[in-house]
Amino acid sequence: MKTMKRFHIVRREGVSLRRKCLYYVIAIFSALLLGALLLLTCGVNPLDYYAKVFTIGLSTARFPAKQVENFLNALVPLVLTSLALSVAYKMRFWNVGGEGQFLIGATAAAAIPLGLGSVGGTVPTLLLMAAAAMLASALWGGITAFFKVKFGTNETLLTLMLNYVALYFVSFLGETKGKWNFFLRTDSDRPIFASVFDTVAMPALRIGDFSLSLALPLTVLICVFLWFYLKKTKQGYEIAVIGDSPGTARYAGMKTGWIVVRTMLLSSALVGLAGFFKLMTSGSLSASITDNVGWTGVVVAWLSKLEPLGIVATSVLICVLRFGCSQASVNVSAVDSRFSDILQGVILFAVLAADFLLRFKIAKKEEAC
Amino acid sequence: MADAFAIELKNIKKSFGAVAANRNINLSLRQGEILALLGENGSGKTTLMNMLSGIYRPDGGEIFVNGERVDIASPEDAKRLGIGMVHQHYRLVEVFSAADNIWLGRNCPKYPFREKLKSVCAEKKGWRRLTAGGKVLVCGAGAAFSERLLRKKRYQEVEKICSAFGFSIDPAKKVYNMAVSEKQTLEIVKVLYYGARIIILDEPTAVLTVQETEKLFEVLRRMKAEGHSIIIITHKLNEVLAISDRVAVLRKGEYVGTVETAEANEQMLTDLMVGHRVDLNIERPVVEKKKPLLEIRNLTVRNDEGVRAIDDVSFYIRGGEILGVAGIAGCGQRELCEAIAGLRKIESGEMVHKGENIVGLMPREIIEKGISMSFIPEDRLGMGLAPSLSITDNMLLKTYKTGSRPFSPFVDRRRGRAEAARIIEELGVVTPSTETPVRRLSGGNVQKVLVGREIQSGPNVIVTAYPVRGLDIHSSYAIYDILNRQKESGVGILFVGEDLDVMLALCDKIMVLCHGRVMGIVHASKTSKEELGLMMTGTLNLVRDDADAGKKTGIARDTNIREDDVR
Repeated sequence: MKTMKRFHIVRREGVSLRRKCLYYVIAIFSALLLGALLLLTCGVNPLDYYAKVFTIGLSTARFPAKQVENFLNALVPLVLTSLALSVAYKMRFWNVGGEGQFLIGATAAAAIPLGLGSVGGTVPTLLLMAAAAMLASALWGGITAFFKVKFGTNETLLTLMLNYVALYFVSFLGETKGKWNFFLRTDSDRPIFASVFDTVAMPALRIGDFSLSLALPLTVLICVFLWFYLKKTKQGYEIAVIGDSPGTARYAGMKTGWIVVRTMLLSSALVGLAGFFKLMTSGSLSASITDNVGWTGVVVAWLSKLEPLGIVATSVLICVLRFGCSQASVNVSAVDSRFSDILQGVILFAVLAADFLLRFKIAKKEEAC
Repeated sequence: MADAFAIELKNIKKSFGAVAANRNINLSLRQGEILALLGENGSGKTTLMNMLSGIYRPDGGEIFVNGERVDIASPEDAKRLGIGMVHQHYRLVEVFSAADNIWLGRNCPKYPFREKLKSVCAEKKGWRRLTAGGKVLVCGAGAAFSERLLRKKRYQEVEKICSAFGFSIDPAKKVYNMAVSEKQTLEIVKVLYYGARIIILDEPTAVLTVQETEKLFEVLRRMKAEGHSIIIITHKLNEVLAISDRVAVLRKGEYVGTVETAEANEQMLTDLMVGHRVDLNIERPVVEKKKPLLEIRNLTVRNDEGVRAIDDVSFYIRGGEILGVAGIAGCGQRELCEAIAGLRKIESGEMVHKGENIVGLMPREIIEKGISMSFIPEDRLGMGLAPSLSITDNMLLKTYKTGSRPFSPFVDRRRGRAEAARIIEELGVVTPSTETPVRRLSGGNVQKVLVGREIQSGPNVIVTAYPVRGLDIHSSYAIYDILNRQKESGVGILFVGEDLDVMLALCDKIMVLCHGRVMGIVHASKTSKEELGLMMTGTLNLVRDDADAGKKTGIARDTNIREDDVR
């Protein structure tokens, strides 16, 4: 006769929003606690360290306004890329080509000022750059959707491989000195990417020392737009139905092929726009311009359950960790800035655990005898 | 204890969140009997059986197997206790052969050499013990390894088992190539091979034809004669009466009672199950005949494999009549429905709707003409509903674009919510709210939502396939009633069904298909189950070209005028 187990796992339903938020906060706190233990073993005071991280180094910075600017400049591409990817994921279209689409967008945007110069002033040039970035990325990503619809190819493989094509294309541009290559500086014998700032700069709103780049309000606008698009519009509804059951979508008379292509065009165009914004803060093209947002964006999108507002919150958290840790490492030599990657990983696991506890509870067995 | 119950359940409880699926269930299964478990959809039958097979764990109560109290924590435990379950949705690896599916869950002894090693150690001493022990280890490990290899002889072994139980299965056949009934047989063989003495079958007949069901029952009777105890879940009362020794009834998660089958009849069982008296007669209102709404002429359609699934089929549906389509599984019903809905390419032929050829139109255009198609596939959710979306969103599926706000970019959810509320009210859908995802509803409620939506769109032709598949009596009758109301309001209905008794009672005419060809269209009031059965298997073909009249015979012409009246 076996012994009776006293506990078992039971599905939980109808969890309130308050409880959900509480669980996620607890998850993040326990991850930070684990991080604190690690810091202690390195002989670092965790409170001091975390204080530096979560104030993104403002307390010790010489130019706090510049610090906030840099933080926002790192945040914008991540938010936008995660949002864009989540649109495709809603449709169960596994776009893991964020990196490639980002690079192609940045390259296309850079081609305008470097190849054509200023086209009738700052604003038209910027508009043209944005259009070029979105169009090029849309085509780069849209082709994978087209192939999937037409020939049933696997979009995960295709988008993944195109990342490397884009990466090596940019490396090729950066290392090939030739008359045709207008991406490089003409005044140097070595191949170096030219800066777009010589021709054009992003308009910004100056508040004292601080200048607010136009990219931030635009990203907020896009976030609101996407929320409406996915929740309220007919196109958003079509995306949800196709993601849930393609057979049903076809049966309801939806043109599924076109909808898949259309959604992927939107998704990759927005990634391209993120590439353009990034170019306007870094100034020149490089193979590492993406800062890995194409990959981080995948994690952010899923961590936030593909909810636009959640994506913003998660992006802010991850960005604070990354930016804060790199700032803290300036003062605390015992801990490398890559500590943020460790924290990020621990938080990921903690949130997954919270998810499990939100969906299931551990129940005690009632003994009948 | 020879006379102990094979299974005895005492005060079993199980809830999912706030929903109590089972409350204080007391149930007993005698040795060597067939017990039918009866209950409406959502009454907790499957939950209860899943606790016996180790998939769920009860929140409270006790389970006794052969008189001994047990704790079934996993399907492994159930297997060890000799309990085997054949699930409604088969648990088979599609790309494996029949033999490999059985081989997969086989118990191979983990350390067959451990015992031997112990005895060697006890016998021998010193150096000799070491060498002898080493030999045992090497040989044992070799044997254990070879036991795990996939060898050709497994096909023969599985074949031997099959014939020992009296089944015929090709052990090398891949599961994806098997018909539904073959898969089921394989599941049963699997369970028997693992040494189950207590066998649970969850709705085994839902996807079988009449003939296949009869075959299955023979198998069950033989198993019973060999001393197996069997629990069978089914909705079909005639089957319950035919096969079982006793019937246990559940209602809304509670145990109502057990009756001897010999003393029971359909009416009594229905009343027990539903809790109040239910009229078991299906009505067939007589409606004034109208012009044909949809006429199909010489339709030929190929299936996914490129074989002719519908071969030169002609028929028509009048307003105010229900035309039944009967046939064994895979005779072309699905392809016919898909062709009418514009989902499948038509090779040749015409489909005339109100004098207009609709061949080649987009699915959306066909929906807008008022032709509604609802096909309930075997998994119930695959076509017609988006399971993760709310009832509201599913209401809007066919009308979101052109329904109430054709030019607005936004979805009109207010209308969807109102329609959802109306269907919930009119059809008695059990759901917490209109915003509940459809997959959270039980099977009967899912189908009510689907059929309700199709009717709400105000169609003039309804094509419906298996609308009562897997539904309990109560919900089935609700659906027959809905269809009859539609018929009375002048809608033409094509009803693809599986239960011949129901079709004989509900339909005005019945068309029988066999391998995609029409075997005849007969008046439901003038045919018999036997005649239909013969036509379904292709033994009887009523259709003949009458060269003199230039017409085909064997096609019943009108709904209300009997051929006797014409003469």
